[in-house]
Amino acid sequence: MSRHRLGDPTIPRTVVIRACWLALALLLAMAASAQPLVKELRLIAPAAPGGGWDQTARVMQQVLQRTGLVTTPVVDNIPGAAGTIGLARFVGSERGRGDTLLISGLIMLGGIVMHDSPITTADAVPLARLTGEYEVITVPTASPFHTLDDLIAAFRAHPEAISWGGGSAGGSDQILAGLFAEAVGVEPKRVNYIAFSGGGESLAAILGGQVSVGVNGLAEFLPQLEAGAVRVLGISSAERLPGIDVPTLREQGVNVEFENWRSVLAPPGISAADRARLTTLLERMVQSPDWREMLERYRWLDRYLAGEDFTRFAAGEEQRVRNILRDLGTGDDKAQSLRDSGPYPLFVLAGLVLFGIAAAVSVVRERLRRRGASVRGHWRPIAWIAGGVTLDVLLAESAGFVLASAALFWLVARAFDARHPWRDAAFAVAVAVGAYLLFADLLQVQLPAGVLAGLL
Amino acid sequence: MSTLDALGQGFAGALSATNLFWAFLGTTLGTAIGVLPGIGPALTVAVLLPVTFGLDPTAAFIMFGGIYYGAMYGGSTTSILLNTPGETSSIATAIDGYQMARQGRAAAALATAAIGSFVAGTLATLGLTFAAPLLASAALEFGPADYFALTVLAFAAVTSLLGASLVRGLFSLFLGLALGLVGIDALTGNARFAFGIPQLLDGIDVVILVIGLFAVGETLHQAWQHGRDDAAPIPLTRRAGMNREEWRRSWKPWLRGTLIGFPLGILPVGGTVIPTFLSYIAEKRLSRNPEEFGHGAIEGVAGPEAANNAAAAGVLVPLLTLGVPSSATAAIMLAAFQQYGLQPGPLLFQTRPDLVWTLIASLYVGNVMLLVLNLPLAGLWARVMLVPRPLLFASVLVLASIGAYSLNRSLVDVGLMYAVGAVGLGMRVLDLPLVPAVLGLVLGPMAEMQFRRAVAISDGSLNVFVTRPISAVLLAAAVAMLVVPWLLRRRSGRPIAGGDE
Repeated sequence: MSRHRLGDPTIPRTVVIRACWLALALLLAMAASAQPLVKELRLIAPAAPGGGWDQTARVMQQVLQRTGLVTTPVVDNIPGAAGTIGLARFVGSERGRGDTLLISGLIMLGGIVMHDSPITTADAVPLARLTGEYEVITVPTASPFHTLDDLIAAFRAHPEAISWGGGSAGGSDQILAGLFAEAVGVEPKRVNYIAFSGGGESLAAILGGQVSVGVNGLAEFLPQLEAGAVRVLGISSAERLPGIDVPTLREQGVNVEFENWRSVLAPPGISAADRARLTTLLERMVQSPDWREMLERYRWLDRYLAGEDFTRFAAGEEQRVRNILRDLGTGDDKAQSLRDSGPYPLFVLAGLVLFGIAAAVSVVRERLRRRGASVRGHWRPIAWIAGGVTLDVLLAESAGFVLASAALFWLVARAFDARHPWRDAAFAVAVAVGAYLLFADLLQVQLPAGVLAGLL
Repeated sequence: MSTLDALGQGFAGALSATNLFWAFLGTTLGTAIGVLPGIGPALTVAVLLPVTFGLDPTAAFIMFGGIYYGAMYGGSTTSILLNTPGETSSIATAIDGYQMARQGRAAAALATAAIGSFVAGTLATLGLTFAAPLLASAALEFGPADYFALTVLAFAAVTSLLGASLVRGLFSLFLGLALGLVGIDALTGNARFAFGIPQLLDGIDVVILVIGLFAVGETLHQAWQHGRDDAAPIPLTRRAGMNREEWRRSWKPWLRGTLIGFPLGILPVGGTVIPTFLSYIAEKRLSRNPEEFGHGAIEGVAGPEAANNAAAAGVLVPLLTLGVPSSATAAIMLAAFQQYGLQPGPLLFQTRPDLVWTLIASLYVGNVMLLVLNLPLAGLWARVMLVPRPLLFASVLVLASIGAYSLNRSLVDVGLMYAVGAVGLGMRVLDLPLVPAVLGLVLGPMAEMQFRRAVAISDGSLNVFVTRPISAVLLAAAVAMLVVPWLLRRRSGRPIAGGDE
């Protein structure tokens, strides 16, 4: 009886359903636009939401949708290892697809070198470079370095005493620190680079004076620069930028010119027609006023470069990145990795073995004390579940997510109770299809459709 | 213009019928998507961002406040009902929340989570309103040495979660630390213990470990223990919300959770795991019945849930006042603000006060909506526990698989999660505690990285840890936390506990 009064569900339920319909209608209305060049386009950002590649993908999504060039552009995040995981997946499973693009750029070249990735950007089809971002060298306001010369003098005198804070190891920030060291005659290996994860963390370290020098993208620093919260000693552009009163590195005698660029790749094996269509699409996108507005907003430089010119440019950059990362002594030196990270891993492994033995002794002693009293487990249901899990992992990508999940559901239900095979089967199909529609269609998390691809 | 006037104008913009509707829609969508395992607040906000594109700034911010708080809150529902935390911030909630659900008290657990989130969210937003710039600059004083000291303090606190047997607890902790070694060493960029599997380069996601140990491990353990018996679904207790006793036991944890969560959320390298667990541990230590923890203590849900919402508001402090995004969610918010020409940073409060105060007012509105929406739903959600066990556990594994897959879109993660689930079954059968392993995975890499950063910055000297005041105080507190209970026990004449206490 009391069950019916639980929280009086009638009112919120209808309102929730109505609100969901409204949201759906809203999404559909936004998707409808005139004269698309491409109906569906998937933009893969090989990084988690929030970073530069993700931003690029989401800005493209917005512009393509607003201009009506693409009816439904979708952003998909495949994060991992400086973009190399996304690249490997892209080359492996999107072959020949004319409706999928991968966001790439300088940092991916670094990732390929750092992690010895067997797949490189040369395995995909480079379409165009889109944007660029200059880097700035900054110091906290309380720093003793007032000019770049102060910094250079101190750096030359005792390189390790200067800590350089920036983004992840092997990324654009560390590359610039390396190029800078080389240009002022310090061995790049001696750069005391402190890698922080992401822009926010390194920004906080510089604002708080935790490191001596910061290396970061200009856009991230502009608000701080305008507020006078940091002192900018130099910018990596060729000439001074209009409206930003910062001297270049080059005019201060440091022969470095550098920018962090971002680009898009198409999958290998696409047809010439698809390639031409995608190139036209990008060209029209970068010419649109919406794109200009976005460049302004994110303070990205317009660096559109397509075709052979871009391929040549990328090859040159790859060589440059490879050289400087080798000089910095990061990445490829696998034999050193344990020594580099100090005694901590050995401490952890020793503790694991020591306490593992101690815990085993304690468990065995307890068992002996309570002999016979312990509960015997049931292996049979475990075997059913193990079967379901194995099928799920094996089938998910070949037969598709729905079939794999339904099989998993049925076998797990079977493990707990064998009396309702038909009821369980009905629920299995309902849950699998429901989950697929929810994740794949509404949330646009790409799940493998497999053999049911045409139906769903 | 004083803060109150400015806030008043913000509210004037926020409180129209249409804007309230947007707040409602944002909260609903944020909660609904945040509920799904594997889809954390960052992805939720990213997925829902396009919905706000067409709106004017005020309406968009209103919807935003709802989405943000809704997404942060949503994860607690699956933690409590299915032992499947969707994101790191609701791991601590799962420990006692799920036990409450299994005792038929799911509605009370969900209610204390919802009210705690509201209380903490509102108090923390007040903190944001009146003290943001001050707090943000204080947070910048935290350097790597201080973060390391903070993790040491957290490790010292963890000792109270090690369980009945010290060596088993330590084994579990070191298992977590060892898993934390896997992946790229952030400081050198070298791969460690990745065994040539590229998917392991970024390390083992704590969500994989948690879903594996808790959701999969629990399912396997149920199958192992009972096999095919006819355990009836768990009956629900009569009341839909909390009774008087539960209110009495919840309000202090809400406030303490807020006090722990908000400041730690402001730290640019905060995260939500440390505040939620510190809150959990604080509640356990302060409780008169610490033995109830792990068996359905409502304080263990109330505290961490308050802490994670307070931390969520805390994250906005450095974001708005310094332009420093301290989490992936904050980075997406930053991008969203830029849509409307709002450039977070030191000058934001001067250049666009209208937008900032509308946003802050929206956060209050979003919080109220969260309560209005979720309190009635608590009773409804609680009925999930009435689903027959075979169907419930089958659904848990299907959802866990999708959750694991959608984290990185990789089957390696799914396989890894089930391998961890098998380990979880073994640990349950052998009576090893699970929580220390999770904390080891979270705290180990952070401690190592901050330690090495601190030493590198000071060019090899270890003195930084004692010469920096924040670090010295935190380390002293950690030592006190370990030594004082020991001294007290000695003085009271009882023998020092060895293996089992």
